[in-house]
Amino acid sequence: MGSAVAFVAAALLLPLAGPSSLDLGRAWAGEEPDRSILLHLRLSRTLLGLFGGAALALAGSLFQSMLREALATPYTLGVSTGAALGAVLAIAFGWHTVIGVPGIWAGALAGAGAVLWLVVLAATKQRQMSTIGLLLAGVATNSVCAAMILLVHSLVGMSDSFAISRWLIGSLDAVDYPALSVYVAVIVTISILVVRQARQWNLLAVGDAWAATRGAAVARLMLGGYLAGSLLAATTVALTGPIGFIGLVVPHVVRTRVSADDRVLMPCSFFLGGVLLAACDAIGRMVLAPAEVPAGAITALIGGPYLVWLVRRRM
Amino acid sequence: MASDSDAVADALVEGAALLDVRGAGWQIDGRRILGDVSFRAAPGEFVALVGRNGAGKSTLLDLIGGLRGLSDGDILVEGRPRREWPARALARILVHLPQMTRAEVSFSAEELVLMGRYPHASGWMDSAEDRAAAAAAMERCGCLQFRARRLSTLSGGERQRVLLAACLAQAPRLLLLDEPATFLDVEQQLQCFQMLREEVARGAACIAVTHDINLALTFCSRLLVLSDGRLVADLPTDTAVDDSSWLRWFSPNLAVTRTPAGRPWVYYT
Repeated sequence: MGSAVAFVAAALLLPLAGPSSLDLGRAWAGEEPDRSILLHLRLSRTLLGLFGGAALALAGSLFQSMLREALATPYTLGVSTGAALGAVLAIAFGWHTVIGVPGIWAGALAGAGAVLWLVVLAATKQRQMSTIGLLLAGVATNSVCAAMILLVHSLVGMSDSFAISRWLIGSLDAVDYPALSVYVAVIVTISILVVRQARQWNLLAVGDAWAATRGAAVARLMLGGYLAGSLLAATTVALTGPIGFIGLVVPHVVRTRVSADDRVLMPCSFFLGGVLLAACDAIGRMVLAPAEVPAGAITALIGGPYLVWLVRRRM
Repeated sequence: MASDSDAVADALVEGAALLDVRGAGWQIDGRRILGDVSFRAAPGEFVALVGRNGAGKSTLLDLIGGLRGLSDGDILVEGRPRREWPARALARILVHLPQMTRAEVSFSAEELVLMGRYPHASGWMDSAEDRAAAAAAMERCGCLQFRARRLSTLSGGERQRVLLAACLAQAPRLLLLDEPATFLDVEQQLQCFQMLREEVARGAACIAVTHDINLALTFCSRLLVLSDGRLVADLPTDTAVDDSSWLRWFSPNLAVTRTPAGRPWVYYT
């Protein structure tokens, strides 16, 4: 509950944070440039941060439950790295738009789709999908994609190389509202579908056999969970680049501090992940203003030490 | 092989036994682990599945529980092949407690026990009825006092009692337990088997894998002895002293006698 309130509060307050001062009264009255800054720069960016962070944290909690692996992130199973590879190729080949869609988005989605198909193919044996099969296929594909990113990166020219480095850190930018609304609709729909299955994720978090003898359809759940988590992560990576740590830290914090029950863990992760990413982005806009620190760098700078502290406290 | 218990089973359910294992076999990479195992189990039976290491006890239990697919034969639950059962409907009839469950689970004991209610409840949240069933099961297994504690903070014995409670909360008619007394001290082992015997007296059937032959002889009604993947003996525990030929499947250095209470007791010679 508290996390949902924080989510709404962040949506209302964070657009006010930024390098240039903003007069709400003037923006409300429709006076430029305040209105445009608020509406087209700050608000859309904050919303992207909120839903992007929410999607990453939810995907992280989903994969942590499915794989029974505390270090699982939305990026563990390769799809996001596949998306990153697609995006990097799009930058390297200079595809600016593909059928009206920005080339990076199209490349990311194509890369994610290819990896998804490969991993499902590799992890499925006799129409059954096992945790260990999925983990192995995913981690292997992840490494291959990461290696190919390095390869492409080393072959391109200076300016493309800079663009790739910058994109790989992960950051939020203003997006236009039609694209944002499609993205939010996709995230919200998938998230509702995932959270509705929370009891089944709980069963899987204890064990495949445990879930099976309690009447859950394990193979179908694994495939569905992998598809859902991958879609959440891949669409987010397409828009923001691979922002790290949200998908790892947020579910961890909720699990240790609030509950391991996915009926609580998943909605809490969704809302707090959104708040954390939007807040990190707001901090990034301010600390070195007028320069911007990418949100991906802030999440890693805050998330890394916090995770170590959290784990040490439990030891 | 004694067939009195089979006769009882037939009389009770007229051919549709609660569990009917017909020529069950399992092999992996061309190696036969289990072959041609046939037996029936009826409500009111407490079956001990015994044998030396690697005899195929856990494999047989996994086959009945559906955790492995049969290579040969068939397993029928209430007259219907188990693969034709919808998973949730089957989970309301039989429950399987594996030998090892991951310890580093962040769920609380109560959350874990409530998972046993999954096949019974269709809602997203736990109903009051589910909570009552979970509390009752924890009470019976003597673990209600640590309902709020995380599983990862419990000792091996405490954890085993929570897992047993989760099985009972599922309200099954057939309990498949792989070494249910693991990690339990002597007093808790006795309590555990006593509790299972009460479940059986209420009309459930129970098949327990155990290495403790005397525990099995004291509490169970029937012994199934596996050796090298074959069912080599199937006898009521009451007759275990009269014909002690089944002992040779364990060790040549064993003999059986009676306790003052009249139960069979195996000792080293």
